[in-house]
Amino acid sequence: MHFTPLPYLDPGSGSFLIQLLIAALLGIGVAVRASWSRIKGWFGIKSEPKADDEDDEPEAK
Amino acid sequence: MTNPKQNNEQLSASFRDPSGFLFSRDGVLYRQVNRRYEQEYARLMESGLYDRLVKAGLLIPHVEVDQAPAESDLSHKVIQPEHVPFISYPYEWSFSQLKDAALATLAIQRRSLKVGMSLKDASAYNMQFVRGKATLIDTLSFETYKEGQPWVAYRQFCQHFLAPLALMALRDIRLNQLLRVYIDGIPLDLASGLLPSKTRFNFGLLTHIHLHAGAQKRYSGMEVKSRAATMSKQAMTGLIDSLDSTVRKLEWKPGGTEWGNYYDITNYSDSAFEHKKQLVQEWSAKVKPSLVWDLGANRGVFSRMAGEHGAFVVSSDIDPTAVEQNYRQMKAEKTENLLPLLLDLTNPSPSIGWANEERDSFGRRGPADILLALALIHHLAISNNVPLLQIADFFAKLGKWLVIEFVPKADSQVQKLLASREDIFPDYTREGFETAFQRRFRIVEAVNVRESERALYLMERL
Repeated sequence: MHFTPLPYLDPGSGSFLIQLLIAALLGIGVAVRASWSRIKGWFGIKSEPKADDEDDEPEAK
Repeated sequence: MTNPKQNNEQLSASFRDPSGFLFSRDGVLYRQVNRRYEQEYARLMESGLYDRLVKAGLLIPHVEVDQAPAESDLSHKVIQPEHVPFISYPYEWSFSQLKDAALATLAIQRRSLKVGMSLKDASAYNMQFVRGKATLIDTLSFETYKEGQPWVAYRQFCQHFLAPLALMALRDIRLNQLLRVYIDGIPLDLASGLLPSKTRFNFGLLTHIHLHAGAQKRYSGMEVKSRAATMSKQAMTGLIDSLDSTVRKLEWKPGGTEWGNYYDITNYSDSAFEHKKQLVQEWSAKVKPSLVWDLGANRGVFSRMAGEHGAFVVSSDIDPTAVEQNYRQMKAEKTENLLPLLLDLTNPSPSIGWANEERDSFGRRGPADILLALALIHHLAISNNVPLLQIADFFAKLGKWLVIEFVPKADSQVQKLLASREDIFPDYTREGFETAFQRRFRIVEAVNVRESERALYLMERL
């Protein structure tokens, strides 16, 4: 595996592989969202200000 | 410095992570930070992450203290975390309590990533309710994040939080009790099998539970080649966002369980209810407890009375609806000294985990300064056939003082319990009750509740 140092808990091979797969997919989503708001910016459309998670209420409503 | 020969006791739940451990000395809890964790600890403190998390109520505050370490050859520092008045476990939480603990864990992970750190575990047992908020109590859960590295705690997060929440919301609220059996969270293949098949159409549950379970089975024990195992920071953000939105979308509406409308269906008059409240207030002010356990608290009306002078109140009930409503109310009112807790008194949380010592039984987390047992005794003595003396024995183990309500057989609630069974309780009378309890307690006051046949007692343990 790719950790330095190695984790003290076994992350599990299956959990590890599926995570890479899902995260790669979701990462594309994050990238698209980011560039989409940039493209909209070129046309002068302001995207909704994304709440900074510092102010996020982490708790369920 | 204290004498190193003093009585140090390493906490039995604190052995997995080599970064450090908890120990108690003279009744105070300390955490030894080991030398191997020196860099990470410095980064947590110096990056501003510690301050930000503490300010947001997401991490337990601590102070560095000049105490001799419990194992000096490993030690870097000794810290003293803020005292948590009562440690509770995820199988004792209502749906929203577990959900808030999950969301707090993800909020911590997000903020950590911003300063180049990441959570190396995501155990529900690391979260506790402090001042009413889900708070990480393990200061040593952070590691340096290197771009490319996946989230090592992903499996644990899914097992400890996502799987039980999905099962509670979409299958049956009582399935959080599986956490009592599976101490490292619900196995994902089990969760996947129990969840309704429609959950495969929910992207978050499909990927994080169903496909995750399949991958675990298929790749179990296989070595992952390191070249392939990298994950961009963007991918990490996407993963955390996805877990967050999957958790947020899980909802459970309380209702439909036994006790949810309890206060609306009791046979009390308003005046009897007010009289009871007043007695609980009066006696709590007299005993001045710092820890109150309200047993059979329902939605916690009397817990709030007992907590008026600042005592910390554990407000326990067997009914998930009542505990959920209690928690929602305390959140809405921003109550800081109350902990709603799901507990079946006829089978209270046992000691579990390694050597049966990792997670303490309910009783071992006491004793409380004062116990409230209001409208409870008939359920224990009649529904569950427990002899009165054994109830007195158990209560004497749990608390130093006791406020207890005696509900006589003539009461319609007791009549209901006896309606379909033989009355095998000749000693269940006020005299029998007093005789049994006087073997363990001194009766300090006994008051007949106005407009009712019930009586309230204040007792002190012998």
